[in-house]
Amino acid sequence: MTDTGKTPYFLSERAQKLVRKRYAAERRFRFYGLAMIILALAFLAVLFYTIISQGISGFVVTNIRLPVTFTAEALGVEPGATAEDLKGVSGFKYTKLARRSLNDYLGIPKGDTEDERLSRGLLSNGVDVQLRKILVNDPTLLGSTVEVWLLAHGSVDPFVKGQISRDLPENRRLINDQQMAWLEKLEHDGRVDLRFNSNLFTEGASADPELAGVGVALLGSFFMMVLVVLLALPLGVGAALYLEEFAPKNRFTDLVEVNINNLAAVPSIVFGILGLAVFINYAHLPRSAPIVGGLVLTLMTLPTVIIATRAAIRAVPPSIKEAALGVGASKMQAVFHHVLPLAMPGILTGLIIGLAQAMGETAPLIMVGMVAAVFDFPGSPMDPATALPVQIYIWSGLPERGFVALTSAAIMILLAFLLTMNATAVILRKRFERRW
Amino acid sequence: MIADTGNVKFTTRDVHVFYGAKEAIKGVDLDINNNEVTALIGPSGCGKSTYLRCLNRMNDTVDSARVTGTIELDGVDIYDRSVDVVQLRARVGMVFQKPNPFPKSIYENVAYGPRIHGLATKKSELDEVVETSLRKAGLWNEVNDRLDTQGTALSGGQQQRLCIARAIAVSPEVILMDEPCSALDPIATARVEELIDELRENYAIVIVTHSMQQAARVSQKTAFFHLGDLVEYGDTEDIFTNPREERTRDYITGRFG
Ligand SMILES: Nc1ncnc2c1ncn2[C@@H]1O[C@H](COP(=O)(O)OP(=O)(O)OP(=O)(O)O)[C@@H](O)[C@H]1O
Ligand SMILES: [Mg+2]
Repeated sequence: MTDTGKTPYFLSERAQKLVRKRYAAERRFRFYGLAMIILALAFLAVLFYTIISQGISGFVVTNIRLPVTFTAEALGVEPGATAEDLKGVSGFKYTKLARRSLNDYLGIPKGDTEDERLSRGLLSNGVDVQLRKILVNDPTLLGSTVEVWLLAHGSVDPFVKGQISRDLPENRRLINDQQMAWLEKLEHDGRVDLRFNSNLFTEGASADPELAGVGVALLGSFFMMVLVVLLALPLGVGAALYLEEFAPKNRFTDLVEVNINNLAAVPSIVFGILGLAVFINYAHLPRSAPIVGGLVLTLMTLPTVIIATRAAIRAVPPSIKEAALGVGASKMQAVFHHVLPLAMPGILTGLIIGLAQAMGETAPLIMVGMVAAVFDFPGSPMDPATALPVQIYIWSGLPERGFVALTSAAIMILLAFLLTMNATAVILRKRFERRW
Repeated sequence: MIADTGNVKFTTRDVHVFYGAKEAIKGVDLDINNNEVTALIGPSGCGKSTYLRCLNRMNDTVDSARVTGTIELDGVDIYDRSVDVVQLRARVGMVFQKPNPFPKSIYENVAYGPRIHGLATKKSELDEVVETSLRKAGLWNEVNDRLDTQGTALSGGQQQRLCIARAIAVSPEVILMDEPCSALDPIATARVEELIDELRENYAIVIVTHSMQQAARVSQKTAFFHLGDLVEYGDTEDIFTNPREERTRDYITGRFG
């Protein structure tokens, strides 16, 4: 540390300054990185909080417990009727049965038309299905009185859940003071409760939130995913294998390669328009059907699968293929016996990620008409259906308070599926990771 | 530069190999004899591997490679259209520089070749082929109790002997070895060299090596390549004690390469 100029360079003032700068730059970079991650996590937390806090209430629904007397004459059947007979009874008779028990409980006499009309507003339009199911399951109940949990009307539900204040002036509420008084009496008697909303999973579209569900949408999505797997896996893997292992390297294959990469970046709505033009207008496949949606999603998923497969094939060391060729395997044997099995985890990972993308896709499905309200379950991929993300889109546009919760609940279901799929991809990759 | 004629396995005449426009082999005439080890030596990039890979048409897998001239195995041009490359490779086995067992069990590694060529149909036959191949490769005693463990879990030297076992399992007539010991320690190298000497009884062996000592130890014939030319070919003893060419002398005495 003398000033004779003999100070080694790395101890000099200049070098020290450089070192300090280097450390500072490193610290800053680390700080930025950490800040980014924290920011991203915060956004994620906010997103999850909003969705879950709103969606959780969609998984339960208000029910009213009532003593229902299944009288044979009210249902218009003989005492001792079979399950078959009871199935045939019109829904209206079951509805009347439910209304009668409510009116009896609330002390509304027969013929009191105004109160009768108002009390109807407390019960869901789906109570007939509930009662029929109970009776058909156990026809011996005919003639006896049973305590039954009946679905409350969708306009009651938000008050029970506390989502709408009961102090609102009457003219701004969907239920009036009289109905509110009844509801409070029922609550006071312990006859109102939030119960698991099984309709959410088993029903299709409905105008009443308490009767609407993602069942049809789930089945539609399932049909489409199966179709995508059946088509995109063999087609994509075949195309990738051909391009990677067998195709001559020339202008044409270069062009194909560039276009496959481009296809992966094409906005999904364009695939929807293509599907509309080719599959519906030209090939006359049915509108709104999972078969068309599945085909469109297959087109979208193919580039992902092809690109993932090619990457996976390239990641297999060439020495393995050479070894196979060296003992006299044909090119095809070398590829199918050795390269493909080793590339499989990578291929499956790509496929699952492609599927997850397809599963969350909305725009192209709207283009091919899968946005219709579908009440009945599709029996085959040729029947109309919706898809989970499309159902979310439809519900998000509806004004009723009940559908807001359903929207978030459906988003939670979709996210659960996507997370499961992505987790599967990660596990596959970990499980089959190979060392050479 | 053509030696013995009696026992010739491979006859190669005027062999040229081009990678695109680059000429990697510039007209090589060379005979490979049966029951002998022929060593190919020469500085890096001189075309030893390229020449070796002509003999089982492994160069076919390189898109840019083009081979001209005649290469005859037992008098049949192996580049003739009528020759099936798969059958050729079953007759001319290959061991690579880096041990490359399949990421499968030891048993599967050896059984793969016989299976695809239909050499063994019954399980018992296959078992026998696997055992004899592993015995010939001097690996049987080390692995017979764990045939179902991964081939990749063996040591480097064991892996290379496994690759040799895999090659001889299809009963080839010729075995090509491209620097088979370059990834091995001296002890493993000695084992493989011993093995090569034993295998010579039944096969024609061509070995590429960078080690002069190894060439001197295991081979009967040596070919010295330089910049794509075959500079000198002859009995190993002559080449190492009394080379005709200056370039050969310089190379084996370590003056270049
Ligand atoms: N696939 C290829 N494409 C283009 N050129 C190649 C290819 N393989 C080899 N070459 C060239 O051909 C020449 C001969 O290569 P080769 O691998 O046969 O040499 P080598 O004698 O085996 O060398 P080494 O001892 O380093 O293995 C080299 O100049 C190399 O650059
Ligand atoms: Mg080489």
